[in-house]
Amino acid sequence: MAIRVNPMFIDVLDRYGAEDVQLCYQCGDCSTVCPHADEVYKFPRKSMRSLQMGLERKIETSLEPWLCYYCGQCSTQCPREADPGETMMSLRRWLISRYDFTGIAARFFKSKTTEILAVIITAIVTGIFLLYYGFSGGSINIYDGEGAFLPSTFIHKFDLSIGLVVAVFLVINAIRMWYLTMIKGTPFYVPWWLYAVEFYQLPWHFFTQKRYAECESQRKTTFFMPWFVHLGLMLGYVTMLVLVMVFIEQFQSGPAIKWSVHVFGYLASIGLIIGTIYFIRKRFQKNYVQYKKSHSTDWVFVVLLFLIVVTGIAQHIFHRTGLLQEANITYVVHLMFVVPWLLRMPFSKWAHLVYRPLAMYFAAIRKDALLRQEEAVQSSPVFIK
Amino acid sequence: MCGSNIAKIVDTEAVAKFASGLPNVVTAKSYKYMCSNPGQEMITQDIKDNQLNRVVVAACSPNMHERTFRNALKSAGINQYLLEMANIREQCSWVHDDPVEATEKAKALVLAAIRRVELHESLDSVSVNMCPNVLVIGGGIAGMTAALELADAGNLVHIIEKDDHLGGNLARVDLTAPYLYSARDLITERVTRIMNNKKVKVHIKSKLTELTGFIGNFKAKIESLNGSPAIEHKQDEVEIGNVIVCTGYKEFDASRIVHYGYGKLPNVITSFELERMIRSGRIETKDGKIPRYVAIIHCVGSRNKEFHTYCSRVCCMTALKYAHEIKNANPDCYISDIYIDMHAFGKGHEDFYLQSSEAKTLFLMYEKDDRPVIRMAGPKDDCKMLIEVNEKLSGEHIEIPADLIVLMVGMEAREDSHEIARIVNISQDKDGWFIESHPKLEPVATTTDGIFIAGTCVAPKDIPDTVAQARAAAARILARIAKGKIEVDALYSEVNEDICSGCRFCNQLCPFSAIEFLEDKRKSHVISALCKGCGVCVAGCPSGAIKGRHFTDEQVLAQIDGLLEVY
Repeated sequence: MAIRVNPMFIDVLDRYGAEDVQLCYQCGDCSTVCPHADEVYKFPRKSMRSLQMGLERKIETSLEPWLCYYCGQCSTQCPREADPGETMMSLRRWLISRYDFTGIAARFFKSKTTEILAVIITAIVTGIFLLYYGFSGGSINIYDGEGAFLPSTFIHKFDLSIGLVVAVFLVINAIRMWYLTMIKGTPFYVPWWLYAVEFYQLPWHFFTQKRYAECESQRKTTFFMPWFVHLGLMLGYVTMLVLVMVFIEQFQSGPAIKWSVHVFGYLASIGLIIGTIYFIRKRFQKNYVQYKKSHSTDWVFVVLLFLIVVTGIAQHIFHRTGLLQEANITYVVHLMFVVPWLLRMPFSKWAHLVYRPLAMYFAAIRKDALLRQEEAVQSSPVFIK
Repeated sequence: MCGSNIAKIVDTEAVAKFASGLPNVVTAKSYKYMCSNPGQEMITQDIKDNQLNRVVVAACSPNMHERTFRNALKSAGINQYLLEMANIREQCSWVHDDPVEATEKAKALVLAAIRRVELHESLDSVSVNMCPNVLVIGGGIAGMTAALELADAGNLVHIIEKDDHLGGNLARVDLTAPYLYSARDLITERVTRIMNNKKVKVHIKSKLTELTGFIGNFKAKIESLNGSPAIEHKQDEVEIGNVIVCTGYKEFDASRIVHYGYGKLPNVITSFELERMIRSGRIETKDGKIPRYVAIIHCVGSRNKEFHTYCSRVCCMTALKYAHEIKNANPDCYISDIYIDMHAFGKGHEDFYLQSSEAKTLFLMYEKDDRPVIRMAGPKDDCKMLIEVNEKLSGEHIEIPADLIVLMVGMEAREDSHEIARIVNISQDKDGWFIESHPKLEPVATTTDGIFIAGTCVAPKDIPDTVAQARAAAARILARIAKGKIEVDALYSEVNEDICSGCRFCNQLCPFSAIEFLEDKRKSHVISALCKGCGVCVAGCPSGAIKGRHFTDEQVLAQIDGLLEVY
């Protein structure tokens, strides 16, 4: 069965950031320098080829783009300046829009106006809703408890409902990803127990991002820099999300609360403030190959996060110093940034938080199954060609 | 001695001593580098001092230094042909490792040379007049360039062109790769200059029917091809000194590859048909629509055992040029370039390849003997045809959508080239291309003196190479014209007319057509200017009437006797 070539696909991917892929003449230098390419997952060369030829079905069922952490060695090495690293990045963007059943991700990636408008509208709606809620039941001068402007019990429910919406989208998309990669894209038998054997991959890759560190070990930067900061940023917002989702009622209460409650919050804030400033600076400097071409969606994420951190810290200071009116106003502004930022997650690059560990997990299973099958073919005389 | 080249195996002093003891030998010397200036002066001095009348040099191959030593003889005032070389380097020291036996062999070779040189005669080379007029066969870019070069130097040039216009195959082309110069501009400038040049006579719609004579003194019959047979054919006879053959190529007939469906599928066209579309300003399918997908298939008829094994050299860059032209005419068009290997070997070609990649041309590679297959698309498809191919770089079996398919037809020798080859007496290789006299050092000369070849009648090549060859041929001819006369080597055959029976056997044997038959005497006669002294006629003559000068039976037999005498 012949696969249909789609020459138009390359134009589609152009909007996702693959601007130079047409220059590739398949020398394979990129796969040679890549610390992660192996005999089963041959990228970036093969992924570049599939993109050039527009083999959509092949790409949507592939895991290779997720195995790349964009160290940028391939782009530095490429003799034709076809930018394989950015190509893998744009394939990840395309895959996110592909897993997303709503089609919102595709709109965001293709048009920055749409995305920025969506963010602004969500922010305004959130603001209006919170102000309406605050003024209808509480006083701007009370921070928590009875008659508060935004009482923590309400915020807790509000956070959980936003979290639930995001989780629903993410779970559905993750299932779509599993179907595309493991059912449609894996034409050989995968024993169910492999899912159990390789399960440790999920938390392992989520919390360590070991492969990112391997990328950096090749480049010999001090402290494995981008990996370290990225990990700090990630652990920072995950901690913050856990605090906000679970323990908000503990630390929003009156000024009498113990300082020790804030330990995790402070640690997370340090990670976030360093992380956001570091990445914004890098994206301006453009001296690392992976930060040379920033897609509009990359900016939206990091700028929103920076604003959230700044308003969060301000609100905390106002709260602890007793400037309750100011604390309540910054709280509204803070949430106006938080809500679009969170809701945007399943439709943006940030979704890699879920997809990447999943891809590592699936890739390990797929590789095991493939090797098992090859072994079976070799040991069984029936299958000899 | 050639330094240690000879002396490390052969005891040259012993050989010299042996030679000096032989009858007829006045003096024998050994010297480190006999070919050096002091060495040559030594020979000259010895000839003058001892009134020598024969010289034997035991050294390297005569290919290397016979000319050097002949000059030494000349400067001593004796005939240069009174020299014989014994090759004790290539035929002795380089191929043996036993010094004793090698020295014995060297002695034998020297004795053989002495026996032979005793019979050498003084010979004089002949010189013939050089007619400054030149005949150029073919009015393409090669022919026009060569003609202008010659005419600008003041010589009369006849151009024979089969078609009713000058320009050849280049006149069918729109732009040229890789710099996208207009082919029309290249030709128009040349045609105008030719038309305004009184020294160039253009014979339009004519062909060469006969060429007689030899270098410097050819007579050519030019016949006009005026369509209707009722009109009596006009014949011109011109006198010329040299001929340049630049008859060009013809394109491969794409219908020979059946499964490309050329001639049956309406939207499968050849590269020349696309050129015509581009020149007319509208690239479209047969039903007048602008194609959305254009596929270009490379190596049609080239690099394949069934048709031609060679590469046609120009098609890769021409295909890239089409990608540019089509994309320029219609930016919404998607171009697939289906190739075996991308041959971007020339100046500016690699950059051109890169530019085509930048313009999002989709390059797809197929295996040499695994040709793409074209089939009609179904009603649901957004294209007219689908090309199935095993794509090498992805390892996938793919189908490529196409509305218009361009076949990059290769070059092949013209079907009438064997006729030209026969008339001007040059050879062709297995593919029909004319053979140069040396593929590297004599790229425009042929084995027939006075006949030159240039351009794509020699082998497929692009415009710069063609023009370079045309100018090279013109330069070779201009050098001869400047000399006025042409020296012919004294090594030619002679017919002893007293013995010749007029059987004409030698006339057919001669590979250079150098033997004519004198009807009045009924004897054969060797045209010394054409004879290369190969000796075929000498060996072939049933009556033993032909003598090869400098290679007479007596000389060769004496040499063999000398060789055997030592053992």
